[in-house]
Amino acid sequence: MMLVTRRRITLAIGAGLLLAGVPAAAEAQTPPELKIMAPAGAGGGWDTAARSLQQVMTAIGVAKSVQVTNVPGAGGTVGLAQFVTKASGKPDELMVAGITLVGAIISNQSPVTLKQVTPIARLTGDPLVIVVPANSPIKTVADLTAAIKKDVAGTIWAGGSAGGADHILAALVTKAAGADPGRTNYVAFSGGGEALAAMLGRRVTAGVSGYGEFQGQIEAGALRALAVSSPERLAGVNVPTLKELGVDVEVVNWRGIFAGPNITAEDQKKLSTLVETTLKSPQWAEVLKARGWSDYYAPAAEFTTFLASEQTRVQEILKSLGLAK
Amino acid sequence: MKQGTLRAPDRVPVVVGIILLAAAAIVAMDANHIQSGFTYGISPAAVPFVVAGFLALLGASHLVVAFRRRDPADDSDAWNPGPADWKAVSLVLAGLGCLMAAIAVGVGFISGSALLFALTARAFGRRAFVVDLAIGAALAFLVFLLFNNLLSLTLPEGPIERLF
Amino acid sequence: MDSLLALGHGFVVAFEPTNLLFAAIGVVLGTAVGVLPGIGPALTVALLLPVTFKLDPGGSLIMFAGIYYGGMYGGSTTAILLNTPGESASVVTALEGNQMARSGRGGPALATAAIGSFVAGTIATFGLAFLAPVLVRLAVNFGPWDYFALMVLAFVTVSATFGSSPLRGLTSLALGLTLGIVGIDQLTGRARLTFGVPQLFDGIEVTTLAVGLFAIGEALYVASRHLYAPEKPIPVKGSLWMTREDWRRSWKPWLRGVGFGFPIGALPAGGAEIPTFLSYTTERRLAKNPEEFGRGAIEGVAGPEAANNASAAGTLVPLLTLGLPTSATAAIMLAGFQQYGLQPGPLLFTKEPALVWGLIASLFIANTMLIILNLPLIGIWVRLLAIPLPWLYAGILVFAAMGTIASDPSVVELAMLVGFGIIGFLMRRYDHPIAPAVVGLILGPMADNQLRRSLQMSLGDPMILLQNPGSATLLAIAALALVAPVLLKGLERFQAQED
Repeated sequence: MMLVTRRRITLAIGAGLLLAGVPAAAEAQTPPELKIMAPAGAGGGWDTAARSLQQVMTAIGVAKSVQVTNVPGAGGTVGLAQFVTKASGKPDELMVAGITLVGAIISNQSPVTLKQVTPIARLTGDPLVIVVPANSPIKTVADLTAAIKKDVAGTIWAGGSAGGADHILAALVTKAAGADPGRTNYVAFSGGGEALAAMLGRRVTAGVSGYGEFQGQIEAGALRALAVSSPERLAGVNVPTLKELGVDVEVVNWRGIFAGPNITAEDQKKLSTLVETTLKSPQWAEVLKARGWSDYYAPAAEFTTFLASEQTRVQEILKSLGLAK
Repeated sequence: MKQGTLRAPDRVPVVVGIILLAAAAIVAMDANHIQSGFTYGISPAAVPFVVAGFLALLGASHLVVAFRRRDPADDSDAWNPGPADWKAVSLVLAGLGCLMAAIAVGVGFISGSALLFALTARAFGRRAFVVDLAIGAALAFLVFLLFNNLLSLTLPEGPIERLF
Repeated sequence: MDSLLALGHGFVVAFEPTNLLFAAIGVVLGTAVGVLPGIGPALTVALLLPVTFKLDPGGSLIMFAGIYYGGMYGGSTTAILLNTPGESASVVTALEGNQMARSGRGGPALATAAIGSFVAGTIATFGLAFLAPVLVRLAVNFGPWDYFALMVLAFVTVSATFGSSPLRGLTSLALGLTLGIVGIDQLTGRARLTFGVPQLFDGIEVTTLAVGLFAIGEALYVASRHLYAPEKPIPVKGSLWMTREDWRRSWKPWLRGVGFGFPIGALPAGGAEIPTFLSYTTERRLAKNPEEFGRGAIEGVAGPEAANNASAAGTLVPLLTLGLPTSATAAIMLAGFQQYGLQPGPLLFTKEPALVWGLIASLFIANTMLIILNLPLIGIWVRLLAIPLPWLYAGILVFAAMGTIASDPSVVELAMLVGFGIIGFLMRRYDHPIAPAVVGLILGPMADNQLRRSLQMSLGDPMILLQNPGSATLLAIAALALVAPVLLKGLERFQAQED
């Protein structure tokens, strides 16, 4: 039995959709042969992102070939450790990772961190949604925060694994409501399925997950979406953001791409251009659409700053949850 | 009932009993170190402590069994495992070791598997090492092609694999 | 009757030549990956998703359904013939199935597994078509306390796999329970028994343990003994086919297997393993000659094989009606739906009737194709045993290692596999049963998590386990199952003294 969390699989969608490749313009020399590591098992979210990049990169011709390797383990820290040694100074090795790795590095007290690798670009960012059962007395985010304030223990949350993005959001909302985030009664489930059942069976107060996972139930009216956690509303979805509702909380399940440590400035620039060309291609836009991913592109410099602030923020909230020193 | 006379204890249950008691101690010590912080309900250390208790109980039972008079009806292999061909076992383990080493140093999946195949066949009494090596390599090569090309899943690569 | 009409339409969709072709490709692929140890249908579907993106949604989903059902069929083959179950749902099958193969009854064992899978798959698919709305209500209302009670019941019944000595059986179970603790605790994120080794943070893969204990352990054991007690599996003795007696003994276990597999498979955290444990125990309890169990009782193959196939259909109930994926494969199929912009859930049946009913109809077709494919294959599979012993076991080891490497190409994982192999060898040598260790690893963490979730929701009040009718009933059954044999024995002794 291979239990894979739903979060990881939801994104496990293929991308053979690519039309005939448009050769990249202004690429005089032969395109490189790249390797992309997904520090997770085949079929998961990072793996799918890596394989999508593989498809698009070869289709548009920015890379001659792309090989995807999987190094699963410990929320990505096993893969990261291997990447730091193996890809040091290499101009042709990349790694896909995301917010979960930031959390895993902190809570696993990993000796290697994302500070050692070279950020190339931020790729996608999926918003989380806070939902309650349709017949719940809680109608708005204000009702939810009031409930938290009144009885933090009795306000039971359902979501993915402890220390993950769902848990972080639940803790941040609890904190914003004026309660101790360390007292958040967060019940972790192994996959979206069980968490959803807990909500439909009205065993919990509220639930957190990627919007896509609850979409069917929200549209069918079985769950009520209170708010999304992204900075802006989702296109075509009439659910307010937490910020709009006066709760100053923002959590996005982002993914980014990194190169190894000690690469030359020239190589870094080459890789950045290559990735940028890929992400700006119509083929990538189609991948995003097909998988329901939200574009969250940021170039290397901006991504590096963003990464630093995420690290501080995640560290702080995990500390309040007792998961970090 | 006859009085049980003291005798040399059975070796197997003594060893198993000691292993179980040691495991119980390790699990309990580890559970003791879990800083559970604040949790609703029971802490993550609770179940490990229960398991440690279970292990300790089983360990003690094994020691009791070892020193007690053996039930003559129990003629199980647990007491008389019979002879073993330790050379064959070592050969198979050596084969597995070769595969691990091949992956660790980057010689690749095919060479490692071929060695595993040939050494195992040798353990089972085959003497045609080179032929077996070739069969193993062919088998591993087929598997590699299946994974690499059909499922696009990369098995550990070495110089041979990179040719494809 | 609406459903019947819709199903009719579904068959029209499924009988389109291209869809038939996809179903055929699916079942062949599924059978193939099912036979390989360590590579399950989930991984195959995940890796094939990109390939199928170009196909139309109906066709590719039909193919996935074929892979899913096919994987369940294929899993039993190596368990029966080589005592190397490729996935945890066929661990129980190996217990009796391999004993049958050793006495030259591999043919009937494979046949009862295949036909049982067909019967179970067909009945369960009917269940999916007509009972889904009822079952799903049950599934949604099954809380952590109910799961915990179900695990307790499953634990109690495990004793059926203990073999000759309860002490050695419990020791094996304890091994599994201890390994089950290893890893980052999902509920609190705390590391348990990891000793700071990152590769242990994700816990022990059940497949690694099962393949290590069974396949590697078996190979080492046979290697150690082949000089002294040449024990060669006998290709065929007597008929390849089931006798009238085999049929008589198989049909009830098939039906009971469906009774366990389908509803439990439909539960969000039910899985395919627990029904096989429950089925095995039940068959052992109900058998006229319980002493045959452990020596190749056909009921012990028929029941669990039917149960694991029925559970495969069961997992599709919450997937199609609620969009709840309850197994890895179902989760990937959900991703497959989403890749076409389809949202499984309450609206799917009304929004996409042709697709859903086409899928259900193609499950019937896949099932029929599988039986047509698998019955003639029995003759070929059985001939596997005619391969000279050195090559047979060398091949088993290569495939076992490959399965592990494919899912995690690390030396640590391979070292764990070999470590479990050595433990499996020692357990065999000193007559300890293997299956309880795997059962412990599967059930232990589930019971631990569900118990803690229950108490987290009740804020620490243990009465929650007894206040809910579902969990209270299951716990009562478990208590009965534990006490009844003791009471019965006492009663017999009492009566004997009276005489």
